[in-house]
Amino acid sequence: MAAKERKWKCWKCSEELVKQQVLFTYLGHTFSHDLPTCPKCGRVFIPKELADGAIAEVEEQLEDK
Amino acid sequence: MRQIIRKTYSVCPVCLKRIPAAHVALDNKLYLEKNCPEHGSFSTIIWHGLRDLESWRGDLPEIAQGENENCPHGCGLCPEHQQDTCCVLLEVTKRCNLHCSFCFAEGGDGEDIPFTTVRNNLFTLADPGKTLVQLSGGEPTVRDDLPQIVAAAKEAGCQYVQLNTNGIRLAQDKEFVKDLVQAGLSFVFMQFDGIDDAVYRRLRGKDLFAIKKEAIENCASCNLGVTLVPTIVPGVNTGEIGRIIRFAVSHAPAVRGVHFQPVSFFGRIPALPSAEERFTLDQLLDVIEKQAGELVPQDSLLPSRCDHPLCGFHGDYIVMNDKTLYPLRQRDNCCCQPTSAEQNRAFVARRWQRPQAETSSDNLLKQEAKDLGEAEIETLEGFLHRIRSHSFTLTAMAFQDAGNLDLERLRRCSLHVFANDRFVPFCAYYLSKQA
Repeated sequence: MAAKERKWKCWKCSEELVKQQVLFTYLGHTFSHDLPTCPKCGRVFIPKELADGAIAEVEEQLEDK
Repeated sequence: MRQIIRKTYSVCPVCLKRIPAAHVALDNKLYLEKNCPEHGSFSTIIWHGLRDLESWRGDLPEIAQGENENCPHGCGLCPEHQQDTCCVLLEVTKRCNLHCSFCFAEGGDGEDIPFTTVRNNLFTLADPGKTLVQLSGGEPTVRDDLPQIVAAAKEAGCQYVQLNTNGIRLAQDKEFVKDLVQAGLSFVFMQFDGIDDAVYRRLRGKDLFAIKKEAIENCASCNLGVTLVPTIVPGVNTGEIGRIIRFAVSHAPAVRGVHFQPVSFFGRIPALPSAEERFTLDQLLDVIEKQAGELVPQDSLLPSRCDHPLCGFHGDYIVMNDKTLYPLRQRDNCCCQPTSAEQNRAFVARRWQRPQAETSSDNLLKQEAKDLGEAEIETLEGFLHRIRSHSFTLTAMAFQDAGNLDLERLRRCSLHVFANDRFVPFCAYYLSKQA
């Protein structure tokens, strides 16, 4: 099963994660993305492919030369 | 009150001998002052006090006695040089199809460099997978075998091949543009001094604005990014600066940015420069604010940190659908530390090269990128789509000549000319006597 189709639970609250809009802020810029989030404590799960892909590219684009 | 605020070294503009020099503040302006035992005293304005110099320069150390003693006459690069090569310039011809009143390379009626020599030079200078080579001249496009030269650069392992051109042939010969792209040309630096033909008549000897537009169109149709390169000359085109920026933005994403070069006085120059004939970096910043302040937030133009801060600036943006500029960096959210030539090379290439996806059959991606508007850059995907396709830079390079050469600046230079098997900082290579 692909990672994005898995059902994840919060390790602390045991609640099933639900997709919510999450805001990322880096070097003065804020971006939104829908990510699995614990409805109880608000913890967010960031899939590895997102961290290594889009998030890493945004960091590279924003970091000054 | 006259006050020495910094010591450095320069050259005598008459004999080019290395001599001590000082930054001298007077009436809120800054001058480079020096004395040649044989030819007397010289003073050149280097800052008009329109921006805070100390804040702009940061805490770089001044050049100390005993440092860089072979500079500039011992160049190629020596162990005391403080920056690696970001971009290497290779002259491929001395010929030119213009006869400009200002030309660093004194192009004109010379000859082409033999192809085998050019090819051998490319293989000697290339650091495979890394090198950014700028093919220059003369005017490189007068050579019919330029596509073969571009292919040789790629074969030698150059990661990026940049063309320095006046754009005339790119406008008149679309097949030639296609051949260059096919051979692996990455992006174009095109001389672009204004949107008024009077400027071109004055600087270049003929009307060229329509030709510049045609060249941009031909490059756009081949997905070849063009950065506009104005030489800014007081009394000629300082009034064009805001219009050049607006023209560039309105022709994005084919146009990737503007790279300003305040006039410098080496090579073929009309006469010895007076203070009024020079255009300092802080004057350029000030004029951009006055003429294009609604488009360019002043704190989005940051001092160069690959080269010396007094050698240039860079601003990094996304062009929005309504032709405004969204600044990616401002002085309060940048790291502001010196950067390596490799970092700088990766940055400029990311910005000046158009993404390959736009030429592919992936029309869906093209359409997605086109459709994303201002609101969409607030999402991760939307931001990445937009920055890949519509990034835009405003940069400047203030070249130095025998009048204002400051060895503190020269020792941080990352733009190097390759000649006689040596890498020579640009302003050292083209240094010429002014009398």
